[in-house]
Amino acid sequence: MDVNFLFVSALNGVVYGAFLLLTSLGLSLVFGLGRVVNFAHGALYALGGYALADVMRRAGLDYWPALVAAPLVVVPLAIVMERLTIFPVRNRPEIYTLLVTFGVSFMIIGGIEYAWGTGTVLIATPRPFTGTVSLAGNQFPLYRLFAATLSLVVSAGVFAFVQLTPVGLRIRAITDDRDMAESLGIDTKWILTLVFGGAAGLAAFAGALGAPIFAVQPEMGTGILLDSFLAVILGGLGNLPGSALGAFIVAMTKSIGGGYIADWSVAFLFLVVGVVLVLRPTGVLGRGRVA
Amino acid sequence: MRALRFAILIMTGVTLALAAGVEAQESLKVGVLTIRSGPATPVGDDILAGIQTATKMYGPVLGRSVELVVEDSLWNPQQAVTKATKLVQQNRVVAILGTSTIESLALLPVADRLGVPIVTSNSGSAAITRDRCSKWVFRTNPDELMSAAALQSLITGNPRLQNAKWFTIGHDYPWSRLVAGSVKGVKNLKYAGETFAPLDTSDWAPFIAQARTAGATAVVMPVTLGTPLLQFIQQAREFGLTNDAVLVAPIGLPDWLVDKLGDTSTRVMSAGSWAAWRYEDQEPATKQFNEVFYQLNGRVAGMQSLQAGAAALMLYNAITKAGSTDPEAVVKALEAVEVRTPVGPLKFQAGGRQAEAPLFLGPYESVAPPRYAARFAQRVEAFPASKSLTVTAKESGCNLK
Repeated sequence: MDVNFLFVSALNGVVYGAFLLLTSLGLSLVFGLGRVVNFAHGALYALGGYALADVMRRAGLDYWPALVAAPLVVVPLAIVMERLTIFPVRNRPEIYTLLVTFGVSFMIIGGIEYAWGTGTVLIATPRPFTGTVSLAGNQFPLYRLFAATLSLVVSAGVFAFVQLTPVGLRIRAITDDRDMAESLGIDTKWILTLVFGGAAGLAAFAGALGAPIFAVQPEMGTGILLDSFLAVILGGLGNLPGSALGAFIVAMTKSIGGGYIADWSVAFLFLVVGVVLVLRPTGVLGRGRVA
Repeated sequence: MRALRFAILIMTGVTLALAAGVEAQESLKVGVLTIRSGPATPVGDDILAGIQTATKMYGPVLGRSVELVVEDSLWNPQQAVTKATKLVQQNRVVAILGTSTIESLALLPVADRLGVPIVTSNSGSAAITRDRCSKWVFRTNPDELMSAAALQSLITGNPRLQNAKWFTIGHDYPWSRLVAGSVKGVKNLKYAGETFAPLDTSDWAPFIAQARTAGATAVVMPVTLGTPLLQFIQQAREFGLTNDAVLVAPIGLPDWLVDKLGDTSTRVMSAGSWAAWRYEDQEPATKQFNEVFYQLNGRVAGMQSLQAGAAALMLYNAITKAGSTDPEAVVKALEAVEVRTPVGPLKFQAGGRQAEAPLFLGPYESVAPPRYAARFAQRVEAFPASKSLTVTAKESGCNLK
């Protein structure tokens, strides 16, 4: 076994895992709170990439201010989307929100194609993170390392918010027992809307952060949506620490699998997910909901 | 009573004469069945623009203006058949242009029922004009086996490539394996390995890592043309692979992709583009096409535009030669016609449906000063069909009834 190659594959997995963490946390929060299976999450990721590109072009901003601005553009749109489409069906069976968000995702992608066309937009790697760094004799892009680090920092911030703030306390209360939380006077409707907006912001931030690596095109959220769902299911629906672990399991499996058994890597990933779910139906940390 | 009958007779005669006159001025409808929505839309855009350019260049056919009737295939076989049927039965087109592999393969089983010539310029699958050939379906672009021959010739003709350590990174579908096999088939070549990524891959890091670990100094990349190829090349540069290895594109790069890559495109070599606008330095028809294309579209003509334009010109010349739009007569004329097109002189192989089309090898380089707003383009070395199409139609498996 080539140790060098294993090291590079593992590092790729950690980097991709950090990206996946951002999108998975958002999905997990929205499901844990409102039992909403948000199929539009990938489209919001793509919208983040386009918001970045558009802000850079129209406002003439550099990458870094645009990275901050892009999620701020997407969050209000997501809140409006939630109020108009998901809120009316929130108390119905989960299949309704699944179908609604599925349709909304097509509408968002269609809107993107109408506004920006179907072509791919390249975003140059921002300074000062152009170039590569040598790690154990391997050249690795500096920007990927930076983006992964920033993803981890933002994710840590999300965890801290949920664990340490009064709003976070309300979020956890609603996740544990929504009816009890309502009876104690917590305004669950607005908390759910704000969390949806926050999750959209995380997805959009991930899209903007990944733009210099993966390029910006209308279908860019499809792959990461699937991986995010796998991460959330692996970790236990609604379980944040579980989703984090799930994100890295998915990323490492894809990266190392892609390195050693490329044509079978997707099948291998689903095999891993299947085995985990058979052995731990409530997720790897065993604390998520089964249904 | 007699006067009334006479008046009716006169009016009938005048009406018939007017109808004949109207029919003579009616436009000649040509169907364009291509991709108009979804991620592959840029391909359809280029194809349509090429056909429109050729239509403007050629002018009226048989004294009639050409009307292009465009339908979206949605890059889907069932839709392709539905839309082709509509074009023929409702719109009464005399021929169909613009198809890619998916549409061409879908139309083969129904070509007899459609009963009009179909001239494809963007279909790589060899079967279309070999073992699955149809009397009605013609192809102007080189097929995948011709491209494989050009790739092998590029390697053997270039000492740097012949002595390189080769690696294949492609998508997980049959064409990639065909390309890998072509490279492996070169005598005395050092082949370091291969890897085939799932079709939805956007992060090429694990696959690039394999090539680097193998010490590759030449990487052939049978990756789907479009965004995936753009992502791959950009990430290969990101990881420094382009510093250590030359990237070889089996059928070249579309010019819109070259434009987006900018300077990065100079790290790529084409092993057989289907067309190249810089062929204008050798072929006047290419220059004429480029100028009209630029006037209409404000950008340089990419290989899919040039090829589509060539297909349209072959069709219009055939209809003119046939002297009518009768499908059988046009098919006969297509078999015999020889035309100077934007890809050079073209004719279809005797007894077959494959055009004896050249391929264009060479690296990408900067164009200074820019021409047709293009700052980077492929340097052109034509690889003639006599070297890539070395079997007769019958030997290739094409038996036309």
